[in-house]
Amino acid sequence: MTDLSPTSNPTPAPAPLWRRLLPPVLAAGLVAVLGAALLSPSRNATDGGPLVGKPAPGFTLESLDGAQVSLAALQGRPVVLNFWASWCEPCREEAPLFRELGEKRSGETGPAVLGILFQETKEQNARDFIREYALAYPNLRDPGIKTGIDYGVAGIPETVFIDQEGIIRHVDRGGLSRERLNVGLEKIGVEGI
Amino acid sequence: MKRPASSRQRPAGARLLPLAFSLLLSSSLALTTDQTLRAEAIGDNLRCPICTGEPITQSTNDISREMLRDVREQVAAGRSDAEIYSYFAARYGNFVLLDPPKDGVGMLLWGAPLAALGAGGLVLWRFLRRRPTAAAAATPGPEGDTFDPYLAEVQRRARRGKEA
Repeated sequence: MTDLSPTSNPTPAPAPLWRRLLPPVLAAGLVAVLGAALLSPSRNATDGGPLVGKPAPGFTLESLDGAQVSLAALQGRPVVLNFWASWCEPCREEAPLFRELGEKRSGETGPAVLGILFQETKEQNARDFIREYALAYPNLRDPGIKTGIDYGVAGIPETVFIDQEGIIRHVDRGGLSRERLNVGLEKIGVEGI
Repeated sequence: MKRPASSRQRPAGARLLPLAFSLLLSSSLALTTDQTLRAEAIGDNLRCPICTGEPITQSTNDISREMLRDVREQVAAGRSDAEIYSYFAARYGNFVLLDPPKDGVGMLLWGAPLAALGAGGLVLWRFLRRRPTAAAAATPGPEGDTFDPYLAEVQRRARRGKEA
């Protein structure tokens, strides 16, 4: 290869250090911002949300059996709140876990499990669902999705874990697995199933 | 970009339809025309939580309708725009706001392009200001006494290559 190195050329004065470092530093900064944005939990994450750490919004709703259920009356007990509907397929998949939770952690020390219907199109379908999965806990009507909006529910299933003090400690969106249910339960001081 | 600009600029007919609908609804809530327009404007800035970038005033699903009713109730109760926005943001996060507050990371998003534009402008201005003097310095004198040994080497080798 022909050597054309400009050895004999008088080299111009080198640019100041900061100017030579500026482009790589800018590029590294952009990569770092991109990396942080990609690695930080996005809004598509299945848990968390703005309500975690805040007091659970109160409600008094009527169950399908006609009983009035109020969150305030459950103060002092951890509460597991599950928003569901009969047309929701992942709700069917997680329903046996809630039945098991109700059976294994019953009594005063166990959590109160509550279901809240979300955009249920036909109440009879919800009743059939409850019978099919033998759910023993109260399932509440939410006219006007008032409670759903109060809890920031956009899709179901969504499960809210409230501790004894009435503070939301964990929110899980999408169908629960046993592991994900246990994560929520441990955050409200309930032993996993 | 949060959503296509087309969804914001609706034809007059498409704008009037939900307005007529909300006027009809507001009669049961006893909102004044001003309040109805305010509720509509707030609803235009609230994202339907299960849609892709659609405000609750345009979406027809149940949750959007109930959220809009909630907005109307809060307007009727005399709550300010900021209070209503923060009510929804506290539940759904800033994601629900189609025009989120420009602070924190939002400020960075808005400010970074402006800062980059300013910095680029400054560099360009300095470059343009310096060039005429630099060009004048680089112009060879009339007697051509600026000898570039590198150029001479290239020319010499090119000549040699042509001869070979």
